[in-house]
Amino acid sequence: MNAENLQKAKELLHRFPQKSSALIPMLHLVEEEFGCIPEAEVAVVADLMGTTPAYVESVLSFYTLFHRQPTGKYLVQVCRGLSCQVNGADDLSRFLYEELGVTRGGTTDDGLFTVEEVECIALCKDAPAVQINMEFYPNVTKEQLRAFIDKAAKEVKSGA
Amino acid sequence: MPETRLLFRDIDVPGVDGIEVYEQRGGYRMLRKAVLEMTPDAVAQEVMASNLRGRGGAGFPTGRKWSFLPKDGRTRYLVCNADESEPGTCKDQEIIYRIPHLLIEGVVLSAYAIGAEDAFIYMRGEFKTGFRIIERAIAEARERGYLGDNVLGTGRRIEVTPYLGAGAYICGEETALLESLEGKRGNPRLKPPFPATAGLYGMPTVVNNVETLSAVVRILEMGGAEYAKLGTERSAGTKLFSVSGNVRRPGNYEVELGKVTLRELLFDIAGGPPEGHEFKAAIPGGSSVPFLTPDKFDTPLDYESLQAAGTMLGSGGVIVLDDRADIVDASLRLMEFYRHESCGKCTPCREGTMWLGQVLARMASGEGRPGDVETLADLCSNIDGQTFCPLGDAAIGALASGLRLFRDEFQAHITKGDGPLGEVAR
Repeated sequence: MNAENLQKAKELLHRFPQKSSALIPMLHLVEEEFGCIPEAEVAVVADLMGTTPAYVESVLSFYTLFHRQPTGKYLVQVCRGLSCQVNGADDLSRFLYEELGVTRGGTTDDGLFTVEEVECIALCKDAPAVQINMEFYPNVTKEQLRAFIDKAAKEVKSGA
Repeated sequence: MPETRLLFRDIDVPGVDGIEVYEQRGGYRMLRKAVLEMTPDAVAQEVMASNLRGRGGAGFPTGRKWSFLPKDGRTRYLVCNADESEPGTCKDQEIIYRIPHLLIEGVVLSAYAIGAEDAFIYMRGEFKTGFRIIERAIAEARERGYLGDNVLGTGRRIEVTPYLGAGAYICGEETALLESLEGKRGNPRLKPPFPATAGLYGMPTVVNNVETLSAVVRILEMGGAEYAKLGTERSAGTKLFSVSGNVRRPGNYEVELGKVTLRELLFDIAGGPPEGHEFKAAIPGGSSVPFLTPDKFDTPLDYESLQAAGTMLGSGGVIVLDDRADIVDASLRLMEFYRHESCGKCTPCREGTMWLGQVLARMASGEGRPGDVETLADLCSNIDGQTFCPLGDAAIGALASGLRLFRDEFQAHITKGDGPLGEVAR
């Protein structure tokens, strides 16, 4: 973890009535910084928490928002809840797979996009819903996704 | 009857997500009154008198839940269940994102009533933006003395701490939530002991849903007895219903319990089916409850009427399907959800959801085999009531009813022959 997050992690140890509660917030810090939970950081977290890396692994493996492999710059999560599905969610996923040449859970070679299909994200009234980097987008269309992909790709080119 | 907006009374007021507008609309007046003029017991009595039932899904009377806390001087905790994950349900999300101070006021009021110094708001990991909104609302409330070390100068400490989960439906089950809040895997605990006697960190704990705690503010405003006059005798007050699926105006709607039928909600309020289509079935209480077909749509929306109709009010997440929906596809989608979300702790749920998913998948892809419909029914009965926590029963709620209501449709997914050359010789 970088110095700022390490400081935050240490503060978390005193945030709750019992130290054990700090583990999940600490893993969120790591996931945010690295886009996943790298092996080396598991040891850092275990050390801070006064537990073993194996225990930290056992907890983080339970939760789907902690990734073991790095995700792309944009983590695109298409909701596949029933309400989204009957409103075209499968079309959105298929569109993303075809446009980006990835399969479910895959990351593009340039590391720009990861596409996941996720279980209900509680946006059923705004179906189909998509989450990009943990921000909700309601009533998503293919056109919106097309524009987003183009814009993101251009940004990278101009940046390079 | 149209909507009756109690919790959503001010939701469309511009800026009500901030504390100033919230206060202008009368916000935090009840907190001030309770903390300065009422005893904690008097607040709890109002909630008891209101007949409020838990809005998360189980519908347990809130006042009674509070009364189970032992009076033994141990530290007590209040935990707000904001892990809204039941497919079809998106009501708590709207409270959190649009009128967060209603929740904060309800949490502090309830913590005061049950004598808890520490309250936690456990939010599903996907509500990252909601988490920041709640953090900001807590900071605003702290600045004005509504929470913190010295609530409104009374010397009383009530601290509210938000907590972000990390993606696990099962953490909406209250004991799994407590495990997760303690920093562990979200495996449900054996009950008893119930959280009231051994909850968070082994201490007496009350776990209440977002909508339940928000309703406490309105109960104090109206008085418990007045609130109890809304709705029916056994289903008091108003309830938020999330309407989604194949419907013209999906949305969150607040109605008086027992005064509006499912048909009125779906047609008059939510606009009916998309043009040129008809409704085929609805799941009225989140994806865990049995289907209702349109012949039952005149059922009033309250706990007892929906139960008598063979389903449940649950979370109030109404998923409605029209004549384009294939019941096997829909059942498959729901089963994949439960298979993914089963914590794996007990066999009927872990194995049962996997097998149900496999059989449904082959039926959906046109490779159903003779006997598959019977296999589905058999698997359902092997899960029904046999699992450690309610997830197993939730997984089969819609499917078991679908098998009864739409048996022909399931049967139609069975291919005539069951071998590569067609019919196998007897």
